[in-house]
Amino acid sequence: MDVLVRNWLWLLALILATVVVAGVGGMAATALLLVLAWLKARLILGGFLHLDRAPGWLPAFTVPLAIWLAVLWGLYAAG
Amino acid sequence: MRVEDLPGELILWVLIASEILVFAAGVTAMMAVRLTDPEGFSAAQAMLDGRMAALNTVVLVTSGLCAALAERAAARGQAGKARVALLLAAIGGVVFLIVKGIEYAHDMRQGLGMESHPFFTFYYLLTGFHAAHVIAGVVLLGLVAVKARPQPVQAGAAFWHMVDLVWVLILPPIYLMG
Repeated sequence: MDVLVRNWLWLLALILATVVVAGVGGMAATALLLVLAWLKARLILGGFLHLDRAPGWLPAFTVPLAIWLAVLWGLYAAG
Repeated sequence: MRVEDLPGELILWVLIASEILVFAAGVTAMMAVRLTDPEGFSAAQAMLDGRMAALNTVVLVTSGLCAALAERAAARGQAGKARVALLLAAIGGVVFLIVKGIEYAHDMRQGLGMESHPFFTFYYLLTGFHAAHVIAGVVLLGLVAVKARPQPVQAGAAFWHMVDLVWVLILPPIYLMG
């Protein structure tokens, strides 16, 4: 299968998973929603923006994003 | 990790990183303000139509696929194919804006303006700023489609993927973390 089409299909699958998890609610489901967002971001950065071909650059974006999403969850949990 | 390994122009990556930081700051501020009134934020967020946001996510990532296909076609010297893919990507952007407009109209009919609740101030600012990027992206895709040369098409597609990337990141805090 075409690598770009496969990337897009993964994104659609993650959107579907997001819709399913959004209906659940609660702290764990919210954390999962953020994990799904991170996975989507990783697919866009790696597959569409080609960072998977740039050694070291994909984690340079995805690790700070993961930390930021964890901070968002922390703020959510504290509320 | 070397700067020259980055695909495309370095300035594009500076732009992408800057845009992510701007939206991240806005969303973080929203989540911090939420601490002062979590119930009010949840109630306000529950008034949004998440189905519209889900539909728009599908539209945007599909448009992103078209931009990626355009980039590849342009790199292979297939200018005609690249133009068609860029046109489809731009149409995706227009559809996104139409859906967003319908959503805003629905919100307004419910009396949900920027002043209704602090949540809606952030909601309109963040999604409105993102929509402005979508408009800029549609124009950019149209401009690079004229000659469909590899480097400008790559730059246009990268901008479009950045718009896509920002949307998937701001979606949960704005629509789903109620």
